[in-house]
Amino acid sequence: MQRGLVEVLILAVPAGLLGTWIVLRGLAFFSHSVGTAAFPGLVLADGLGFAAPLGALAAALVFTAGNAALGRGRERERDSVVALVLVGCLAAGVILASDVFGSGANVETLLFGSLLLVDDADIRLAAIAAVATLLVSALAGQRWLAQGFDPEGGPVSRRQTLALDAALLGLIALATTATLSVVGTLLVASLFVVPAATARLFTERMLSWQLASVVLVALEGTAGLWLSVKTDAPPGATIACVAGAVFTLVALLRAVLARAPRGSAAVLAATLGLALLVSGCGNSGADADGRLAVVATTTQIGDWVSEVGGDAVAVDQVLQPNTDPHDYEPRPSDVAAAADAKLVFANGDNLDRWIDQIVSDSGSDAELIDLGADVPERLPGESSGEEASRYDPHWWHDPRNAAAAVREIARRLSAADPSHRRLFQSNAREYLRRLGRLEAGIASCFDQVPVAQRKLVTDHDAFGYFARRFGIDVVGAVIPSQTTQAQPSAKDVSELIDLIEREGVKAVFPESSLSAKVADAIARQTGASADYVLYGDTLGPADSDGATYLQMEAANAEAMVRGFSDGRLGCRLSP
Amino acid sequence: MFEPLTEPFMQRAIVEMTLLALAGGALGCWVVLYELSYAAESLAHSLFPGLVIAAIAGIPLLLGATPAVVLAALAIAVASRLPGVGRDVGVAVVVTTMFGLGVLLALSPDSPPGVEALLFGDILGPSDGDIAAAAALVLLVAVALPLLHGRLLATGFDRDAARALGLSPAFADAALLVLLAAATVVAVQGLGNLLVVAVFVGPAATARNLTDRIGPMIAVAAAVAVLAGLAGLYLSYYAGTAGGASVALAIVALYLLSLPLGLRGTDGGRLSPAGGYDH
Repeated sequence: MQRGLVEVLILAVPAGLLGTWIVLRGLAFFSHSVGTAAFPGLVLADGLGFAAPLGALAAALVFTAGNAALGRGRERERDSVVALVLVGCLAAGVILASDVFGSGANVETLLFGSLLLVDDADIRLAAIAAVATLLVSALAGQRWLAQGFDPEGGPVSRRQTLALDAALLGLIALATTATLSVVGTLLVASLFVVPAATARLFTERMLSWQLASVVLVALEGTAGLWLSVKTDAPPGATIACVAGAVFTLVALLRAVLARAPRGSAAVLAATLGLALLVSGCGNSGADADGRLAVVATTTQIGDWVSEVGGDAVAVDQVLQPNTDPHDYEPRPSDVAAAADAKLVFANGDNLDRWIDQIVSDSGSDAELIDLGADVPERLPGESSGEEASRYDPHWWHDPRNAAAAVREIARRLSAADPSHRRLFQSNAREYLRRLGRLEAGIASCFDQVPVAQRKLVTDHDAFGYFARRFGIDVVGAVIPSQTTQAQPSAKDVSELIDLIEREGVKAVFPESSLSAKVADAIARQTGASADYVLYGDTLGPADSDGATYLQMEAANAEAMVRGFSDGRLGCRLSP
Repeated sequence: MFEPLTEPFMQRAIVEMTLLALAGGALGCWVVLYELSYAAESLAHSLFPGLVIAAIAGIPLLLGATPAVVLAALAIAVASRLPGVGRDVGVAVVVTTMFGLGVLLALSPDSPPGVEALLFGDILGPSDGDIAAAAALVLLVAVALPLLHGRLLATGFDRDAARALGLSPAFADAALLVLLAAATVVAVQGLGNLLVVAVFVGPAATARNLTDRIGPMIAVAAAVAVLAGLAGLYLSYYAGTAGGASVALAIVALYLLSLPLGLRGTDGGRLSPAGGYDH
C-alpha cells in the first residue's frame, strides 16, 4: 500500500500541473484517448516480446502525431479527429490481437490499472514524468498561457506555435502512458482532469490554480487509497468516486456562495474536501486465529485447498465465481491476504500471472506454488511471444491433473503445518476417492455416446484436456483462441457453420462466464442447440450446479452428453 | 459477391449494421457539429452503474441502463454550463464518476457475472431484441431530428442569436445529449463501444469534408455509414479479420479518403456550432 501512496503523491505533480493545461486548452478528450490508443502498442509488445511501456509510449506518440497532422487547420473538428484516430488505433489493435498474434493483451486491461501493483519501475516512470512536466512547463508555461487565451495572436511564429503544441501534447502522452499500468485510462481523467476542473471552480489565477490542483490530486488520491483499503474496493474506482464527489460539492458550494467573497469559498471547499476525507469509515477484520493462512488464485484451486485443508486452513480465494481470469483487478484484501499467507497456490501458464506481483508487492515471504508445473497431462499452448504460455493453461479439466494437484496441495500443506498432517492426508485420500469415482462415471457416460457424435463446439478453446481424456473431438470454437478476448471474423463464423453442418454437430456449448451472442447466431443458422452451458474458466456461484470442482465436471459431462445425443441421453452423477 | 448475402447470420449482421448506420450517420452530424465526440465515446461507460443496479434488482437491463445514461447526459449538460469547465471537462467528470460508481456497485456479491460484457456487443451475432431496438432507434431519430432541426440549427449557428429568438441553447444541448444517450444504449449492445464511436463520428466527419450544408451532410453521412458497414462486413467475411474492427477500419479509411476533398484551410464560412461562422 505504501508504494501506491508514493506513486499517487508523485503523480500529483504531473497530474495537477498538466491538468490545468488540459482544462485550459480543452484537451480532456485527448488526454483520455491517448492512453486508450496505446492498445496496439501493447499488443505488438506482447506479440513480439518487447517491453510493454515502450510499446504503449510508441503507440501514444503515433496517436499524438496523427492528431497533430490531421488536426492542423481543423480547430473546430479537433474532437472528431481525436475520435477517429482513436478508432483507427483501437481497430488496428483488435485486428492485431485477434488475427495476427492471438494475443492475450486486451482493451479492458487498459481501462483499469491498479495502484496495488506498483513496482519500482512504475515509480521511476512517474518520477520521470513529474520532472519532465516541471521542466517543460517552467520553460513553456507562459507561452502556453498566451496561446490558451489567444490561439492566433501573440508574437509567436506559426512554427513556434506548432512546437509549443507538440510539446504539450507529447508531455500529456508521456505522463498518461507512463502511468497507465497503475492508473488505467478511466482513472487518468479522474487524476488529470477532474481535480484541475474542481480547482478552477474556486480560483482563477494560474499559479494558485496549479498549486491547488496538485494539492487536490494528492488529497483525493490519498483519501481514495485509504477508503479503498477500509472498504476493500479497487483503488482506481474509489479515487474516481471521491474526485467526482468533491467536484460536485465544490460546484454546489460555489452556487450557494456565489455572492460571498472568493476566499471563503476556497476555504469552505478545502474543509469540505477534508471532511469527506475523514468521514469514510469502515473496518477490516482479519482472521488468522492459528489456522494456516493460504491464498488460492482460481476458484477450482480454492475449492481443492478447502477440501484438503478442512478447518485447519484459512483460504483466501482471489478470483470469485464467474469472473474471467483473463481479466482481473486485484483488491486490497488480496494483497493483505498474500502478506499474511504462508502458501500461495497458483494455476500457472500465464492464466494468473498477476499473482507474482501481488506476492512480491505485499512483502510476503509466502511460498508461491505453481500447480500447473507438475501436472502429468499437458497440451501445448498457442499464443506467440516471449510471455506466452508453453502449455494450455486449462489443465484442471483433466481429472488426472486435478488428482495430481490435490496430492501436491496435501503435500505442501503438510510441510507447512506438520501438526495437521494426518487430517490433510485423510481429506486428500477421501477427495481422490470421490474424484476417481466421478471420473469413472463420466467415462462410462461418454461410452454410451457413439464416437462419431462426440463433436464439441464451444465459445473458446478451454476444453482440450477434457476432450482428450474422454475421447471427444474438438471440432471448433467460436473464438478460435485460448484467450477469451479475441474477436471472431465473419469468415471464422462462416467456416465454423460449414464445419458444423458437414460434421453433423448437434450442439454448440456457450460458456457460463461469456456472452453467448455469436454462439446463438451460429445455433440459429445451423439448427444446432445452444441450450447447454459449460463451466470453462471458473466455477459457478454457490447455488449453481457448478459450485465445486466435482460438480462442475459432472455438470459439463451432463451438458455434453445431452448435447451430443440431442437430449436423448443424460449423465446424472452425484459427485 | 452475393455469397455472404446467402448466409442467415450475415443477413442479420447486415440488417443490424445498416439500421445503426442510418441512425448513427444522421445523428452523428449533430454530434460532430456540436463537438460532442468525447461524449459519444464515453457515454457508454456511464451505462455501467445502471446495468449493475438493474441486474441486482432483477429488472430488464435496458430499464436500468436508460435512466443511468440519460442522467449522465443531463449531468454533462449541467456541468458544462459551469464557468471555466466546458463540455469536454464536463464529460470527463461525469463519466469517470459514473463508471467508478459502477465498478464499486459491481463488487456487491449480488451482482451477476459478466455485466461488463454487455458493453462489448458483437456485430456478428445480433439478437432479435437488438434488431428490434435498432429499428426503434431509426424511427426515433427519424422523428426527433426533423422536429428539433430548427432549434439545433439556430443554436448551432449562433447561441446568442438563438437566445434572442427565444430558443434556449440549453434545451438544444440537453435534447441532443439525451438523443445521443438513447442511441448509445441501443447501439452499444449491437456494436460494442469501439464501433459506436466510429459510427457516430466517422461518417459525419467524412460528410463534413464533402459538403457544408446540413441537409446534404446528413444524407451523405448516412450513406457513408451504410457503405462502410457493408464494406467492413465483406472484408471480415473474405479476409477473415475481426468483425467489429473491420467496420471501424472501413469508416476510418473512408474518412481519410475524403480528406483531400475537404475544404481545408477555408475554415471561414463553414458551418460550426459554438461561435457561428469561423473566421
